[in-house]
Amino acid sequence: MGVVLVVAALSSMGLLSLVAPLLERFLGRNAGYLLAAGFIAVAVLLGLQAPTVLAGQPETASWPWIPALGVSFSLRLDGLASLFCLLVLGVGALIMAYCPRYLPHGGRHGYIYFLLTLFGGAMLGLVLAADLVLLVVFWEITTVLSFLLISAAGSQGAAPAARALLVTGMGGLALLGAVVLLAVITGTTDLTSVLAARQQVLASPLAPAVAALIMIAAFTKSAQVPFNFWLPGAMVAITPVSAYLHAATLVKAGIYLLLRFSTLFAGQPGWSLTLIAVGLITAVLGAAQALREHDLKALLAYSTVSQLGLLVAAIGVGTTVALAAAILYTFAHALFKATLFMLVGIIDREAGSRDIRKLSGLMRVMPVTATLTGLAGLSLAGIPPLIGFVGKESLFQGFARASAFPGAGVVTGAFAVLASVLTFAYGIRIFYGAFAGPTLQRRLYEPSWVFLAPAAVAAVAGLVLGPAVAILNPLMREAIVNVEPGSVPPHFKLWHGLTPELLMSAVTIACGLGLFVFRDRVDHGLSRLPHLGGQALFDRLYTSTFRLGAVVARSAHVSSPWTYLARPVAGLVLLGGVGAGTLGRLPATAGQRSQPLDWALLVLLAAAVAGLVRARSVLSAAALVGVTGLIVTTWFLLAGAPDVALTLLLAEVLTAMVVAFVLRGLPRSFPRPRRPGTFAAGVLAVLAGLAAAGGVLALTGRRGVSPTGEFFLREALPQAGGRNVVNTILVDFRALDTLGEVSVLGAAAMGIMLLLGGLDRADSERLVAPYRFVLGPAYRVLAPVTAAVSVYLFVRGHNEPGGGFSASLVAGIATGFGYLAGRPGTAPRWRGPGPLIAAGLLTCAGVGFAATMAGKPFLAHFSVPLPSGLSVSSTILFDLGVYLLVLGLMVTAVTRLASEDDQR
Amino acid sequence: MTAAIAVGILVAGGVFLILRPGLARITVGFILLGHAVNILLIAADGAGRRGAPLTGEGDLARMADPLPQAFVLTAIVISFGITVYLLALVRASRRTGKPDSDPDDPGPSQ
Amino acid sequence: MSGAVLSLPVAVPLLAAAMLVAMPRRRRLHLVTGVAVTGGILLLGGEVLATAVGGTVLTLDIGGWPPGFAITLAADAFSALMLTVSALLVLASLAYAAVADEGGPLFTPLTLILSAGVYGAFLTADLFNLFVFVEVMLTPSYALLTMTGGGRGAAGRIYVTVSLLASMIFLAGVALVYSVTGTVNLGELAGAARHSTAAALACSVVLLALAAKAAVVPLHTWLPRTYPAAPAPVMVLFSGLLTKVGVYAIIRVYAVVFAGAPQYRWVIMTAALLTMVIGILGTIGEQTMREILAFDMVSQIGYILLGLALFSTAGLAAAIFYLVQYVLVQAALLVAAGTVETSHGGGTLGKPSGLAHRDPLLAVAFMIPASSLAGLPPLSGFIAKLSLIQAAVAKNSYLAAAIATAVSFLTLLAMIKIWRGVFAGREAAATARPGGRPHALRAARPALIAPGLALAVPAIVLGIWAQPLFTAATAAADGLTSTAAYVQAVGR
Repeated sequence: MGVVLVVAALSSMGLLSLVAPLLERFLGRNAGYLLAAGFIAVAVLLGLQAPTVLAGQPETASWPWIPALGVSFSLRLDGLASLFCLLVLGVGALIMAYCPRYLPHGGRHGYIYFLLTLFGGAMLGLVLAADLVLLVVFWEITTVLSFLLISAAGSQGAAPAARALLVTGMGGLALLGAVVLLAVITGTTDLTSVLAARQQVLASPLAPAVAALIMIAAFTKSAQVPFNFWLPGAMVAITPVSAYLHAATLVKAGIYLLLRFSTLFAGQPGWSLTLIAVGLITAVLGAAQALREHDLKALLAYSTVSQLGLLVAAIGVGTTVALAAAILYTFAHALFKATLFMLVGIIDREAGSRDIRKLSGLMRVMPVTATLTGLAGLSLAGIPPLIGFVGKESLFQGFARASAFPGAGVVTGAFAVLASVLTFAYGIRIFYGAFAGPTLQRRLYEPSWVFLAPAAVAAVAGLVLGPAVAILNPLMREAIVNVEPGSVPPHFKLWHGLTPELLMSAVTIACGLGLFVFRDRVDHGLSRLPHLGGQALFDRLYTSTFRLGAVVARSAHVSSPWTYLARPVAGLVLLGGVGAGTLGRLPATAGQRSQPLDWALLVLLAAAVAGLVRARSVLSAAALVGVTGLIVTTWFLLAGAPDVALTLLLAEVLTAMVVAFVLRGLPRSFPRPRRPGTFAAGVLAVLAGLAAAGGVLALTGRRGVSPTGEFFLREALPQAGGRNVVNTILVDFRALDTLGEVSVLGAAAMGIMLLLGGLDRADSERLVAPYRFVLGPAYRVLAPVTAAVSVYLFVRGHNEPGGGFSASLVAGIATGFGYLAGRPGTAPRWRGPGPLIAAGLLTCAGVGFAATMAGKPFLAHFSVPLPSGLSVSSTILFDLGVYLLVLGLMVTAVTRLASEDDQR
Repeated sequence: MTAAIAVGILVAGGVFLILRPGLARITVGFILLGHAVNILLIAADGAGRRGAPLTGEGDLARMADPLPQAFVLTAIVISFGITVYLLALVRASRRTGKPDSDPDDPGPSQ
Repeated sequence: MSGAVLSLPVAVPLLAAAMLVAMPRRRRLHLVTGVAVTGGILLLGGEVLATAVGGTVLTLDIGGWPPGFAITLAADAFSALMLTVSALLVLASLAYAAVADEGGPLFTPLTLILSAGVYGAFLTADLFNLFVFVEVMLTPSYALLTMTGGGRGAAGRIYVTVSLLASMIFLAGVALVYSVTGTVNLGELAGAARHSTAAALACSVVLLALAAKAAVVPLHTWLPRTYPAAPAPVMVLFSGLLTKVGVYAIIRVYAVVFAGAPQYRWVIMTAALLTMVIGILGTIGEQTMREILAFDMVSQIGYILLGLALFSTAGLAAAIFYLVQYVLVQAALLVAAGTVETSHGGGTLGKPSGLAHRDPLLAVAFMIPASSLAGLPPLSGFIAKLSLIQAAVAKNSYLAAAIATAVSFLTLLAMIKIWRGVFAGREAAATARPGGRPHALRAARPALIAPGLALAVPAIVLGIWAQPLFTAATAAADGLTSTAAYVQAVGR
């Protein structure tokens, strides 16, 4: 039953946030009242658990969420969680009731209400989370919501919001790191189990890292030095946001985290010392800064920082008393700080100013407001009988009895008193501004009681709960037991008798009054101190990161390809070096490697390449490319690859033809390169050549015959029906490769079409045919001959060198030649190459697909029976498709490249 | 051995050319590199056999490994297609007036 | 479910592309065909995935030839997962292109051919065939990149030449592998590189080429230089497919041929960490939305390689989960960026600005995937990073975990940079397009934002309901750490 209520509470918050914009549509800014009622209802839901929880039996609910990571969606309502829930929902209700009068009439507030309600839900989730990952999730969600709420302040909120997001986001990542480490140490992400595994955690060498990361996360969230600078900046947000998030709840998440993990780390020297040091330094510095501020909101922000510092330090002390004090003071602080923010907001609205110098003697014009402000100010300053006093007293008690290091009590106590003195000083200032002094602004009047009501409730609660603090005892005690299982929690009451703490309070009040009396001199002295702030450092880190990034980014903005191309080459050279170093004994070379004729070719090749490298004019380069192609063709012939040689030769001719077409648009000679670039390129080239040569030498020819090659040689005739083994591999055994390759050609053709003009454009009118008087007659003779050769090659390909490729390349030569000869009439009129490409691709893929349809594997060969009794093998059809596609590419190239001149 | 040297020469020449300015030079460089890879593929026959792989024309044991030859054919055709495309790109950038080669210093981002 | 269906993702798009080339002017037909084919493959991929997660590896020996000699297409959980998410991405890209009215009459056929290459690459178990399919994938990409004027200048040149060089190195690597081992079948090659230095060296050449294609540091500079020059729908297509094939191939080769060799994992780890850091630094330094998003692709590849370097089931599962959710998140971001460019005049930070007020829907469409990328809960990116960091810590790679966390923080910084530059702040005065009339202060058409919002949904869903994808990813990871089933299905 209890489980259901817990779940219902959380889901209700979610639902409420979704409903909020709708409510705002209908009720305008008054939707806040309904939302406040919603918050209270949820609090009641949770409050129904109170009997069980306070008796020491927490309510838990759990579902698996990501079993693969061991993460579950678990919730747990224990004493500590209840306390924080009360804070979140109680203060939330007050803020929601405050909003309708604070927000301007008219205007759209649905967004703000939505975010505020959602935030409440997220905070609730954070304190209820019983799985560490879930905790992180809610933690980060609150970070994001805080960012959004600060951003809602408009353009001046952009920078503070970003800063807040970055700092608290960093803390969130630290928390994530801690959670992952804990998960690895304990093997689970369940919070209860982890907290119970104290010995295991502390024994692990990772424990200091975990503790450090948790502390960082808490420091960022609770704005401790040096992460404190984001909080004052966040004050640009509207007052309800400042009051809710940045005083009562978001910043308390860090405190919650530290309290929870005190179960594991309390008493550990590193933990205690760090927390005490950071906390007390923050407390003093924050209070000093607050004393310097004139803007009430900024003053309150720094005050929050300072008070949180006291809390952190108290948690650091780690004794039962100190922890209890921290818990009580958390509650008290939330109460009076929220009140103060709300009242400052009211005063700002009414008086038009938040400057403390301009406010004095408000008592006469706004008596109720002033009284409430005064009450809250007194609670802040720690004057009896308000709850602020009770809380501070217990803090003093905790500090005085500290035992983290020898003399801890004195040291911490002294610092705490110092911070409290400063706190008292600015607290009294607020009070003074409210009550005393001449009334500077006479035309103010009391705001409506509806506007004041939420603040009044909180202020009066602070007054009443001081003497009546015993009401809170059951809740407090349960919370303390949760944090420190097995401890004996103290009783809170207003009067403990004459104790050292009372003395400390007295000293505080005395010195504080002194500071107040001499406030002018104090002000003067403080203004001489440097402004504390990690903000300068943060901003500097921020800009230098961006500058570093710009340097890295610049490496990717060069315009010429060589830097991009040099890198993979360098990688190859590196691999070559590694290979040279690591390859041990290599197997012996199998078979005969070189023949005399090879060397002759090699010499020719070297000459050709050398010539190419040094070529100045494009024409000579083109010629030398052709020569190189011929040499390589001969090489292949000698190596026993006649099909390859034939194809390469034809491809060379075609490439040369296409180059000839493109040549018209190119400059006569290559651009002249720069000297240093040439040298570097040369070095890299030589190294790459060496690496390549070495690789070939070391890794080829040492294997012996491969079973795959043998299989093909043996089975080509019996199973594939062809004597040209290479051709059978291409169109039968490994036809998928060929299918891919013709798709490449088709895509290339499409690319050319996109680059150089329309799709189904027929032959253009302007043809470049300077040689037509010479070549024309020759063409008339040669065209049918080449066509015949093409067909011949196609048909014989399966058994002799030839095949679809070579045949279509021949046909392509004919087409190109036709254009050079300027006789389009003799070549068939194409309606654009599109249909050719489509037909080719359809044939090839279709043949394969037909096999699938016939129940055979893709691209299996089969026979197509013809009406006349003959049958056609599917491989011939496949080859035909290849033919069509290659021809299509050639036609595309020729029609597009040959028919333009280079006028723009 | 000769294959290794041939590949080395072609790679050296090809790499040198692709690191020079000008798309035309780069294309020539890629042609050379393509030759180099093809020679490497043919040399990947494990035993240095040199008979043409045509069944019925000689001893099976002396025929070259047909698989790398098929690879080379596929590679030749693919690089042929892409070379044609590259040349069209050269032409297209001439037409739109963009310089065929850019100076070697880093330019502004597009 | 038989292996025969594995030919469909390759055959059908090619057939459809051929048909569409023959009928270039019918835009409606193009869209319908493209969507129908891709949708069909998406469903098929889902079915295959369901079968594969159970542990079976579907295979198809092309041409009916014996395994080990023939080319085999094989679908284990990893391949099936990649197939499915790629189909989803192609679908989104086609939809976006149609809505954004980009792409001419050849866009759909080229995309279909490209997608056939991608699916083939994911399914093939043959190294040379992988080379061919990568070319099938890349050649249309050349055409698509240089489709418009922006891609025809330096960016197009750089893209084509770098790609070509990488392809040549790839081919050389395959040649060397064949030369050392006598086979290019992945099943036959299993474990070869782990035991033989020569084979490892040959495979390293292949991995070098794949690393260049996947934009691993220091071979990454081409990506931020060239991708932003493409039209937005094309960049969406590229971002989810091209580099991912490279990463997939690296993982597959390392898992099968190297058998996860422990002695070389430090190389991958170094590459992963460098890629993450340099990638994110470059991201922060860029000045326009699409350039930022292009550089950040480099950084994210590093995360995936980190999972590979860990080579545990948890690490690989994390890497694969990351990969899948990241493809969708990146696409969503690019769609948002593209919409900002077309509707509001350019993506340079600072002009436009204040878009959060003008166009709240677009701001949401951007913020959700951006938060996922930055690793904010409860989105998919957070879960992905959590699982990766957890896997790293579990293998005592604390440095890697720390760097991954720090890079995540910097990613947040980068997203904030875009947010502040483009969305936050006061609304800028109406910006004037060069040579045109000023933009009206209005929001983008909802149709333009819809694909982005649709793609942002997975970021939320995969974050809150991550377990199904994790099951699939773990199955895929299992298939990689113990490759026996795959090797047996594919080899002789």
